[in-house]
Amino acid sequence: MFKKLNLFSKVSFVWIGLMFFFAIAGKLLPIADPTEYFDVTGAGLFTAGHILGTDSNGYDLLANVVVGARNSLSIAVISVGLGSLIGGILGIAAGYVRGKTDYVLSVVFNIFLSIPNLILSLVLIAVLASSSDPTVPVPDSRRLVVIIASLTIVIFPILGRITRGSTLAWTNSEFVIAAKSMGMKDSQIIKRHIIPNVLPSIYAVAFLGVGIVIVVEGALSLLGIGVGDGISWGSMLARAQGDLEFAPASLLVPLTFLALTVIACNQVGDALRQRLDSRESKL
Amino acid sequence: MSNFLKVKNLDVKFSTARGLLHAVKDVSFELNSGESLGIVGESGSGKTVLSRATMGLLTMSTAKKSGSVKLEDVELTELTREELRSKWGTEMAIIFQDPMTALNPVRRIGAQISEGPRVRMGLSKAEAKKHAIELLTLVQIPEPEKAMKKFPSQLSGGMRQRVMIAIALACSPKILFADEPTTALDVTVQAQILSLLTSLRKKLNMAMVLVTHDLGVVAGHTDKIAVMYAGEIVEFAKTEDLFRNVRMPYTEALINSIPRITTKSGTRLPVIDGRLPDPTIPLVGCGFAPRCKYATDKCRTEHPDLVDAGNGHMYRCFFPLKVMN
Amino acid sequence: MHKLNQIFQALTKLLLVLVGATFLLSLIVRLLPGSPADFYTNAFNEEDRLLQIKALGLDRNAFSSYAHWIFDLVRGDFGPFFMSGGSTRPTSLIIAQSIPRSLLIMLYVQIVSLTIAIPLGLLTAYRADKAVDRIISTGLFAGSAIPGFALALSLGYFFGVRLQLLPTIGYVPIAEGLGEHFKHLILPVASLSIPLCASYARILRAEIISTLRQDYVTMAVSKGISNSRVLIKHVLRPSSTSLITTASLNMGALIGGTVIIDQIFALGGLGQQITFAIFARQYIALQSYIALIAIAFILFTVLADLLIGVVDPRTRNRNV
Repeated sequence: MFKKLNLFSKVSFVWIGLMFFFAIAGKLLPIADPTEYFDVTGAGLFTAGHILGTDSNGYDLLANVVVGARNSLSIAVISVGLGSLIGGILGIAAGYVRGKTDYVLSVVFNIFLSIPNLILSLVLIAVLASSSDPTVPVPDSRRLVVIIASLTIVIFPILGRITRGSTLAWTNSEFVIAAKSMGMKDSQIIKRHIIPNVLPSIYAVAFLGVGIVIVVEGALSLLGIGVGDGISWGSMLARAQGDLEFAPASLLVPLTFLALTVIACNQVGDALRQRLDSRESKL
Repeated sequence: MSNFLKVKNLDVKFSTARGLLHAVKDVSFELNSGESLGIVGESGSGKTVLSRATMGLLTMSTAKKSGSVKLEDVELTELTREELRSKWGTEMAIIFQDPMTALNPVRRIGAQISEGPRVRMGLSKAEAKKHAIELLTLVQIPEPEKAMKKFPSQLSGGMRQRVMIAIALACSPKILFADEPTTALDVTVQAQILSLLTSLRKKLNMAMVLVTHDLGVVAGHTDKIAVMYAGEIVEFAKTEDLFRNVRMPYTEALINSIPRITTKSGTRLPVIDGRLPDPTIPLVGCGFAPRCKYATDKCRTEHPDLVDAGNGHMYRCFFPLKVMN
Repeated sequence: MHKLNQIFQALTKLLLVLVGATFLLSLIVRLLPGSPADFYTNAFNEEDRLLQIKALGLDRNAFSSYAHWIFDLVRGDFGPFFMSGGSTRPTSLIIAQSIPRSLLIMLYVQIVSLTIAIPLGLLTAYRADKAVDRIISTGLFAGSAIPGFALALSLGYFFGVRLQLLPTIGYVPIAEGLGEHFKHLILPVASLSIPLCASYARILRAEIISTLRQDYVTMAVSKGISNSRVLIKHVLRPSSTSLITTASLNMGALIGGTVIIDQIFALGGLGQQITFAIFARQYIALQSYIALIAIAFILFTVLADLLIGVVDPRTRNRNV
């Protein structure tokens, strides 16, 4: 499987693997404490002791990027996972039952899709993560939950629509029609024939979804309503925006990690989807 | 007399995912001006590749071509792309099997016919339009002025094929390659198109290469016939000679599978069992041997050469059929 | 008839989506802690406060408020924009200020993206799988996946902070000098155009490759006309339907979906107004902005359908 991929996809796979390694094993790596202030502030790349430099506060950027990987990826994976689950179930329902169910669900998907995803999550977060008393700050843990919830709402209609399309195609395939005509129960058909065939396209789009979520999370941070201070790639960007002249690395390092991860997710999702397209075109 | 079109040792290979595909093997033939040649074979026999390779029209970048193609003593294989292009349309033209896919769906008939004359012959817009209407009249399209404004999807299959012929003839080519020109059409329309092609060929003194899988199609419309099998010419003769004195068992089988008026309804037409050999595997014996009822061990182990029986009748068989008379 | 019926059905569905999206947003914003009533009233006694709330229309429930807004919208009124002290000004004033720049930016982005994408798509498709194509296509892929704000921030850093070549903030109307106008828009337009242009080129490349396999292209080649004529006259048009559809879908998105670029470069377009409206609990204005984007989206979809009909007659005959 891996051998068949082109070079770009292989590099993408390796990169995503590396980010997950950072996310999981980050704490065990021999790197600086991300919350420790160092004397060197605004150091450039390849400074002794700080291979990716430091920001204007003297935080080690490598250490922060590794911690950021954990937070950015956890947010992305959890919200895409939840979104796939919800979108998958609704999509299969729409594609398999069809008729009115399909009409209503399609309209619901389209309502959510018609609102630009950043605006949607912005509104949701503004609602869910602000306290009625402005003097009491919203606790970080609640912000995190809210952000994951709103990103899930951004992702589920995308997954829902893709799943619906794929389900429709497989529902019309000969073996499903045959199974129906032999009196197989709908729940059995969905379990045996629909889900195994639809799942691969959900995986493919889920990779694209991880890319989308990382971007939206970054954008939310830039607008000032991301997760707490400096602990995800997006919030590192937000913190660095004011220090461009003094510590450019503090912007460019997280930006590079974020952009490369998004590109890699897209590439992997695309490669998976291309393989599926040729499979589904044979239907 | 020097031949108008001389193809010598033409050989085409494609590199594919399954290996090197030998589509055309060492093919040679000659054609006089105004003459017509039928190239007959099953699909996959290499006849389409042969006609496109002769024109230099192979678009696939994986094609490897060798051999010589001379048109009026000009060696086409040595021409630059630009020089070759100057021959297309004005000296050599081609029509395709399915006029639905061979006409541009988004351009009007008029624009497609007058493009050649405008670009290649430098006609003005008005002249090109007049010329296009003449061409549509020539291919017997009713109300040519109206047809000019139509899109291909608004015409019937037979009309589309006539339009394609008009496009091919637009710059008065000296030779026309017709690649299965009637396969996609209804039987009655097939006959009309064929007789149109033949009458145009005679009227314009144009040579023609008619590529088809149907030996019955070429019978009344060609001077010579080349039968192709697995990328090779297996029999080559004047048309009447071929039908009267068939030598190659494969050709015999092809002739037997043509429906005749005398065939009683309800009788089964003989079909040729088996398939063409895999073109990615080099042939050991005669390519037709596995399907041939006369085949011997020699046929299966040695590859027969193309031999001339005199009077230009050539065949590739160790045990040719007896001549009738 | 069949075609008309189809268009009608599609439009009903779109309108349903439009109503659903705006109502959903207004409901969510209403749930925001801190009612607009607290933001925009400044009366000292309860009686005056209630009067101000009534003047703002904040005494209505969600349905009645939405009905009022829809009724206004149909008459071309974008509803009230709350001002402190219970007064309002028409939202249309803000729209009139922000829409021209949003439209201009969208126009520039589309022009730049398409002019670069079309030749790139032709080149990569014509040279498919050759070295040139592989290099450019890899670049196009990366370009299409890179987030716009990553470009905005890094371009802003290099050209604004480092080289001090271009301004990184603010919008200058054409009336105040064409040179300054363009200078201020180079970075935002570039940040939006690079991903867009790359995805356009990829869409076009894929479709041209499948067109190049068609017999009518070989037919055109056999006329002896030049390759560039074949590509432009015979290949480009039948290959452009996906590109037209995608480009038109992006029109609506570009008008209001550029929230983050608007914010980074402080352009004051519709995107920035939307962010502002959310934080300032201007839910009527927010509804109007979103409706505007959705209407633009619908308009451009219909326009694209018509354009595709002109470009590709096959689609015209499909339902006749």
